[in-house]
Amino acid sequence: MADDDRRDDRRPDPDALLVLADKDRRGKLTVFLGAAPGVGKTYAMLSRAARLRTDGVDIVVGLVETHGRSETAGLLDGLEVLPRRHVSHRGRMLEEFDLDAALERRPSIVIVDELAHSNPDGSRHPKRHQDIEELIAAGIDVWTALNIQHLESLADLVGRITGITVRERVPDIVLKRADEVLLVDLSPSELIERLKDGKVYLPESARRAVDRFFRLGNLTALRELALRRTADRVDDQMVDYLKQNAIDGPWATGERLLVCVGSDVLSEKVIRVASRLASGLNAPWMVVSIERADREVETPERLQRIETLFRLAEQLGAETRRVIGHDFVDEILKLARREHATQIVIGTRRRGRMDRFLSRSLPEALAKRASGLGVYIVTPDGGDAAFAKRPLPMPRLSALRQATAIASGFVAIAAAIGKVIDLIVHLPNISLLFLLAVLGAAVSGGYLAAFFAAVLSTLAYNFLFIDPLHTFTIAAPHEVFALFVFLAVAIIAGGFASRIREQAEIAGIRAAALQSLYDFSRKLAGTAKTEDAIWLTVSHLQARLKRKVVLLLPRQGDLSMAAAWPPDTELDVTDLTAARWAHDKREAAGHGTGTLPNSRFEFRPLLGPHGIVGVCGIEHRDDRLDLNAERALTAILDQTAIALDRARLAEETVQQAARLEGERYREALLSSISHDLRTPLATITGAVTGLRQLGERMTPENRDDLLQSIEEESGRMSRFVANLLDMTRIEAGTLKPKQEWMDVTDVVQSAVERTRKYAPGRLIETGIAPDLPLIKGDSVLLSQVLFNLLDNAVKYGGEEPINVYARRDGKDVLISVTDLGKGIPPEELDRIFEKFYRRGKPDGRAPGTGLGLSIARGFVEAMGGRIHAESPAWKKKGTRIIMRFPEAEPSAMEPG
Amino acid sequence: MTVSRILVVDDEPQIQRFLKPSLTAAGYEVIEALTGADALKAVATQAPDLVILDLGLPDMDGKDVIASLRGWSEVPIVILSARDRESEKIAALDLGADDYVEKPFGIGELTARIRNALRHRGRLDAIPEIMEVDGLTIDPIRRLVTRGVETIRLTPKEYDLLLLLSRHAGRVVTHRTLLTTVWGPAHGEDLHYLRVFIGQLRQKIERDPTEPRIVRTEPGVGYRLLTDHETS
Repeated sequence: MADDDRRDDRRPDPDALLVLADKDRRGKLTVFLGAAPGVGKTYAMLSRAARLRTDGVDIVVGLVETHGRSETAGLLDGLEVLPRRHVSHRGRMLEEFDLDAALERRPSIVIVDELAHSNPDGSRHPKRHQDIEELIAAGIDVWTALNIQHLESLADLVGRITGITVRERVPDIVLKRADEVLLVDLSPSELIERLKDGKVYLPESARRAVDRFFRLGNLTALRELALRRTADRVDDQMVDYLKQNAIDGPWATGERLLVCVGSDVLSEKVIRVASRLASGLNAPWMVVSIERADREVETPERLQRIETLFRLAEQLGAETRRVIGHDFVDEILKLARREHATQIVIGTRRRGRMDRFLSRSLPEALAKRASGLGVYIVTPDGGDAAFAKRPLPMPRLSALRQATAIASGFVAIAAAIGKVIDLIVHLPNISLLFLLAVLGAAVSGGYLAAFFAAVLSTLAYNFLFIDPLHTFTIAAPHEVFALFVFLAVAIIAGGFASRIREQAEIAGIRAAALQSLYDFSRKLAGTAKTEDAIWLTVSHLQARLKRKVVLLLPRQGDLSMAAAWPPDTELDVTDLTAARWAHDKREAAGHGTGTLPNSRFEFRPLLGPHGIVGVCGIEHRDDRLDLNAERALTAILDQTAIALDRARLAEETVQQAARLEGERYREALLSSISHDLRTPLATITGAVTGLRQLGERMTPENRDDLLQSIEEESGRMSRFVANLLDMTRIEAGTLKPKQEWMDVTDVVQSAVERTRKYAPGRLIETGIAPDLPLIKGDSVLLSQVLFNLLDNAVKYGGEEPINVYARRDGKDVLISVTDLGKGIPPEELDRIFEKFYRRGKPDGRAPGTGLGLSIARGFVEAMGGRIHAESPAWKKKGTRIIMRFPEAEPSAMEPG
Repeated sequence: MTVSRILVVDDEPQIQRFLKPSLTAAGYEVIEALTGADALKAVATQAPDLVILDLGLPDMDGKDVIASLRGWSEVPIVILSARDRESEKIAALDLGADDYVEKPFGIGELTARIRNALRHRGRLDAIPEIMEVDGLTIDPIRRLVTRGVETIRLTPKEYDLLLLLSRHAGRVVTHRTLLTTVWGPAHGEDLHYLRVFIGQLRQKIERDPTEPRIVRTEPGVGYRLLTDHETS
């Protein structure tokens, strides 16, 4: 097994190669590391830059503080310096590094001094190292400078050495990920010399600390730290190289640390210690916090602390994980086995109220059960005053009052019942009644009530039932013993009962949360459109979280607000920038995150199975979201992302179908035009050339026939062109029918006459009801519609007569055209109004243009009427097209 | 000389309506067929000298009509087709149609195609004869190409191309036919050969190679050697 592993490892580690591939796309980070201010980092950086500049490298200075020193400032000559951004901060104008200018300028290398700098509020990122990360991600190489004291994992160590608290800190991971670290070294004595010569610039505020800081001892210690860090990195690079090249090496210590933290103050120390331990062992490490599955002890403060701890741990290069379980020891050991941890790091914490039920403290229990694992116990410093004095959480007064009332009530009832029973029959185990009271109080009032009830019961039992009665003294010694046993039993039983109650409550809360989520999912599944889904999401989230919620979706290449609850919520520029960030980088941005934290909202990306679908913003309030709300939020956002993803796919499918439909339409249009224009054109050309070249040799009848065919085909073409133009007008939406009074009789007559002229052989019968009211519309359009319908009837109606009827139907006027041809199969009845749909030959070579009915529908609907087809019309034969126009309002009939 | 009988196959009554008087006036006897099936029957029973065939028929594909006809008849076929249906034209020509006319067409163009097709029919079994186009003389027996007194030196491939085109003088020869006949069956798709060799041929035989009056390009279909009455 071990051999197998080794053989597998012989291949280059794919992860190592992946990291390398990623590095190829990213810019390179070069850190000039120094032990203290004044060692000459900026100077080293600039003189190196000047050399590269003369070699023609595109290197620019993003930001460098020369602190007015001429020898450093002199180096800036000949280097391009980007203008700074002016920010007003608390009434002062600050000059800051302009990240956007650097991104826009896109040099190959940009110099940004002071890696540990904190940006003023209102900047995109709170820390400069985040600015630099963005530059690197954009493929720009960055040179920066850092003093070792600013390194996160060394912060407390430096604090202890120098006695100065370092506020501006840089996560270790930044230095760890740097492609190159250059140590700028200066011996402490030289540095102190430089300081005395005034060559070291220090801000005014730091001047007081100078004497404390620039001591030989301090500087030596810091220098050692810097040297050691650089040496560690050299080791890392060698290990990376060995891994990439699949060389078996002595690098693998095989150590893996599992670090257990809680919400206590000691945990921070545990993490720092573990970080140093891990970097010393060159071991990966994982930080876990364990929550009790059976209790909701996760107060917002506690959650926030764990969150902060996790962020610290991640910055120091750890993986973090939350685990839920019943038995802490068990869970830790399980996780340690799963993660192949070799050592567990844990702090000895003061045993809280909860732990009193446990016989041992957690570290002790771990040490006893962790076979084959090292357990590293971190003890609190004596100076950790906050830890020592951490107060036990005090129950609120109202809760106390309520618990007392419940306890008293139950005990009083038990006492009363006891007394009554005692009067009737002497019961030796009357104390059981009080136990019942304790359990009752526990179940209805919780742990506190149970505890009070136990004490009260003991007193009441003693007072009422133990000789001498009505005193708190006890005559018989065995009764004293029995009473203490009772008290113990009552407290323990009460404790258990109250836990049952708590669990029931939690189960209830969880069931409610689940129910709410289930309801949401069900409703979401019922929404077909994106619009419905997003409104459902924002309103549901607002109701659940009691804060403003916005949802932004990408539209036309830009992210825009799609829904908000309450609907009048507005976003300012910062919010929108944060939202775009969350969308582009697929990570949370805005309040509470590392990007644009002064936005009022926290924006989270909605990641569906096919990528990002949108961004959800949740307003920040002073009270943080509790664990349940957080869980619900995550679940709801996941669901929404999936729903939006699905909706987007559906919309894409529809668009695809529309595109296909469009293509089909264009094809039909082409085939229709090519056929319907070409045939008449071919006829006309053929007939004209025939007449010109061979006319003398033809009989007069033949000549006449050719001329007639020219006339007919010209008419056919002009009808087709007119139809195309009509269709274009309908499609373009420029059709503006007149709203004039029409006499249906006149319109029908004119259309019928026109048809008779063109098809003289056909019998057309009209039947128009005498009481027909006037209708409003465009008589030219209606006449064209009727002509198109008659034209169709002529083509498809066989030799049978065609009927045109007009009559009144309730409030409507009905006009119908009926032929007695073959009719239309029911499945095609709806399609006949489609453009270029033709009954008959599939090759499109039907006698019609496929436009007539489509134009008829366009015109009728433009006039406010409706049109539909019926088939068979009469005795299993024929087709009837029926138009229905609303009768004009009587009031509108009045002249004026 | 007997009157040639022409079968017009087209389902559009309008087309039939103008073709019949025109062709009759041009001295042909016209019989009509509206469907492919009718056309096959008419060829079998009425023995037309030439068939004018519209490729879009209601009952069957015009190409199928050609394929069936060519199974038992050598009657010349001139197809009527739309300009945008090149592949259809080429397929029809490769199946054995003799020529094509694009709609819309003038009667003059159609009668010229008819004449060429009929002449070719009459000449099929005759010995190759000397041919003259635009002052160029092609003598297939002596394998000589001359303009006036000047002999034009052609490479064997160039000569083969010219000869093939002249045998079908007046009619279109598809790219595929040219390539497979001159270069061999494996070269049916090597269009670039043709472009190069036709270019060279034109340089040698045309008076003005930029305005060819002997070998005309039929875009997307093939080449045609014009006969004298077409060039003038």
